[in-house]
Amino acid sequence: MSNSMNSSIAHCSPWSVAGTTLSSRFFLGTSHYPSPQVLGDAVRASGTEVLTVGLRRLQPETGGGSSFWQRIQALGCHILPNTAGCHSAVEAITLAQMAREIFGTTWIKLEVIGDDYTLQPDTVATLEAATALAKDGFAVFAYTTDDLVMAQRLHAAGCAAVMPWAAPIGTGRGPLNPYALEIMRRRLPDAVLIVDAGLGRPSHAAQVMELGFDAVLLNTAVAQAGDPVRMARAFADGVAAGRAAYESTPMPERAAAQASTPTVGVPFWHAS
Amino acid sequence: MTNFEISLNGERIATGAPTLQALLLERGYDLKSAFACAINSGFVPRPQWPERSLQGGDRIDVVTPITGG
Repeated sequence: MSNSMNSSIAHCSPWSVAGTTLSSRFFLGTSHYPSPQVLGDAVRASGTEVLTVGLRRLQPETGGGSSFWQRIQALGCHILPNTAGCHSAVEAITLAQMAREIFGTTWIKLEVIGDDYTLQPDTVATLEAATALAKDGFAVFAYTTDDLVMAQRLHAAGCAAVMPWAAPIGTGRGPLNPYALEIMRRRLPDAVLIVDAGLGRPSHAAQVMELGFDAVLLNTAVAQAGDPVRMARAFADGVAAGRAAYESTPMPERAAAQASTPTVGVPFWHAS
Repeated sequence: MTNFEISLNGERIATGAPTLQALLLERGYDLKSAFACAINSGFVPRPQWPERSLQGGDRIDVVTPITGG
């Protein structure tokens, strides 16, 4: 491990989601890493306390996902199973129930895909599933678009967190509509809002954290980086920097320039 | 025992297993592994596996943890 990895991870003030207090505001996915070793190193470098995992069909001859699950458990993080691949509320509800039994958690990242090209969530089906799952005792982390009214509906349905996309999953394009995200934060001051999907660079994470989002969730931007471990650390720093900036109240933008250096006593000026 | 056709993880198979647990054992699943089951898109909790009977045409899904974003 390089020296740069040994310095302490930037500090974030503690916060709570689904009744759990966390220090990190960085949720990390577990897919697409070059190896299990790199995944583990990236998780440790990120300082994350929440990992997302998935569920897929098991053929008996493959031995199942028990070894993967044991490796993830050894990392000591909270587990956020997802319903990735579901295309209806019924599918998502059933997969959430299966996840609760396997992982022993009520946390569920609810994801119902409506369009296979953009992987845009079907927000109508998401709301239907979120309502049912919240009533059934799940802590629902609902993946959605940046649509304000749908975010309001999901929050009202009892979701533990509403998770708007910054851009389509895996694109790494960063916030395509910062205005929508800013308004969502302003209009839902009491909701836990986590930006999920589409972040590609630590500056993207810092940007949404500066807007006041509670956390970010990403995967590909770390896993597919040339050096996933250093990138995990870079994102942790970006998240912490953005949060610190938000809590420090950034200066208002101005239309006109204003000198930083005092203008009193400027030399070489003489009344003519 | 009369065999009947079901779909297991999308594959049509013939089985004579009277229950879900019997099917899982017949197909070689290690019951101690981390996996969960659904029949016809409805979750079947693990304690119900020994008694949950099967019928021809049932669609059974068996899922296990994998990486995910």
